[in-house]
Amino acid sequence: MPLILLPLLRFVFAILSISFARARKPFTIVSHLVDAALLSQLVLTLGRGIPELITVGGTPAGIGISMIGDQIGLTFAVLAWVLSVAVSAYTWRDQLRPYFFLLLNLLIGACYALSFTTDLFNAYLLFELSTLVSFLLVGYQRRPRQIWASLHYLVLSSLGMSIFLLGIGVVYAHCGCLDLAVLKTMLRASPGEPWMLLAGSLLVAGIAVKAGVFIFSLWLPSAHARAMPAVSALLSGLVIKMGVVGLFRLADVFPIHLTLIVLGAITGILGIIYAFNTHDIKKLLAFHTLSQIGYMLIGFGAATEVARLGALSYVVAHGLFKSLLFLTIGEAAARAGGSHLNTLIENRQNIPRGTRIALFIGVLGIIGLPLLAGFDAKAILEDGLPTMALRLIVILVSVGTVASFAKLSPVLFSRSTCRTDRSRILAYAWLGGGIILFWPLSLLLVSPAISLHALSAPHIVEALAVIAVGGSLYLLIRKKRFQLPSEIFRLETSPLIILVGFFLVYALMALGQ
Amino acid sequence: MAAIVAFILFGLGILVLVLRRDLVIKLLALGLVNAASILFLVSIGDRPGARAPIQGPGEMGILADPLPQALVLSAIVVNFAILALALVFVMILVERYHSTDSTRIEQEMAREIDEEETPCL
Repeated sequence: MPLILLPLLRFVFAILSISFARARKPFTIVSHLVDAALLSQLVLTLGRGIPELITVGGTPAGIGISMIGDQIGLTFAVLAWVLSVAVSAYTWRDQLRPYFFLLLNLLIGACYALSFTTDLFNAYLLFELSTLVSFLLVGYQRRPRQIWASLHYLVLSSLGMSIFLLGIGVVYAHCGCLDLAVLKTMLRASPGEPWMLLAGSLLVAGIAVKAGVFIFSLWLPSAHARAMPAVSALLSGLVIKMGVVGLFRLADVFPIHLTLIVLGAITGILGIIYAFNTHDIKKLLAFHTLSQIGYMLIGFGAATEVARLGALSYVVAHGLFKSLLFLTIGEAAARAGGSHLNTLIENRQNIPRGTRIALFIGVLGIIGLPLLAGFDAKAILEDGLPTMALRLIVILVSVGTVASFAKLSPVLFSRSTCRTDRSRILAYAWLGGGIILFWPLSLLLVSPAISLHALSAPHIVEALAVIAVGGSLYLLIRKKRFQLPSEIFRLETSPLIILVGFFLVYALMALGQ
Repeated sequence: MAAIVAFILFGLGILVLVLRRDLVIKLLALGLVNAASILFLVSIGDRPGARAPIQGPGEMGILADPLPQALVLSAIVVNFAILALALVFVMILVERYHSTDSTRIEQEMAREIDEEETPCL
């Protein structure tokens, strides 16, 4: 029952938040408490060894819409709850229109449902709901650039979902069902069918548009960089993870492990190159979202249990530090008068100390300082990678991450006398606390043996070496600017690249069979 | 046959989406892409000679598969909502820039605030 109640109650709170706008704050507190209770119940059920499973309408599996509270689903749902609390605290005193909170609750509800669903068509509808809500949230302030970014996002997402729908059609034509658990049994009985290639590549290409995979999600840098800080934090920390959970679930059914590894490597490396070359810090964070998705795809593509757990840990770690970074940079940009690096450095005395400390913790988390979230999750992920080549790609992306974040150092070390609003400090402390206490919290997800191995001396030395090499790399090439093609992010070009991406996925699936 | 037509329409839609710069035509092309995927779903649910999937007393014979029909109805509603919202945003852009040409709108926006061109430190 909690599987149904979690999204459903959010939709109820969404309606209440717009019907009784003055009682928004009590409703927000109640909604978070109710969600926490329902999630705890699901975690306890999973702890007993049998995940909660429900098929709506009581029809046989394969016909009704199924939802499962397994490890993957619960990880994403708990992340959704943590980030929704942070965003509520951040926007506590903001004078926002009631319809912002309606959209916020709808988005969180859609994310809960997407985390648990194992039905392809239900996933399609929820993806579309999250697209529509995110589209309105990105364009909330009605600034031309936001509207443009929002439109770009909507066109590409809708195209991606049409590709996904074609995939659903192919699956239904051959299997007569859309439930992933039933499909898995069917496909195991008759592997290597030619239609499977077409169905798998259509479904993967469709979801990849939503999941922040570089050649597919070309809408992401402008949408995440132009939206309000609270919206960017949710989009980057949570909404694109819904695409990732879709890819994780498909990896259980279709032979897409090689595809995930190659897409992960492309996403990681290209994301870092673009991030290093940009000086708009919000855009830098958006490109980093792409590069970090690369880790998660490589982890799941590696198909070992430890790498899978590492990828799941990284999903949570990334959600925490990327949301914190977007919230702090958003506030810093508002105080400094812009998110360009020059503006931030020139007006750094206007950035409150609390915001700067939180930003510092976020940066330390993402660059993988030992004992913090990024380090723990990456160490577990690396432990599970079967080949040296994959580890090298992860290390390469980590070095690039340090090099591109090094440009923020003048902003981090400065003096200021202004104060951060209390509700914002609460949001920063909530996310920052998660980053600092990530190791003990990760014991809920991974076994103590795996978790302890992540803290071993070789990992700590490697992390410190990566920080040193990344810092040196930044000093070496900081004055160079590379001409990278920006045409790929245009509305005219990106649909064509998505089409090329589909053929790439098809070829990779054929290779990996 | 309908499935082949659906894939052709899908390709055509993407082609128009890439080649035409007019935002309204782009959205029409997106509508074509969406309609193509819906046509594909209709084609897989097609059973020649089938009746509506409502079983009356004593009635026998081939019934149409109700699931693709349910999928198609939901997809049509979703795509309608998306197109309607996208058109509203295009209207807001047209009010400001007096053009539906995507390149021109991009150029106008770049002229308004050009953060990217500021030299880095």
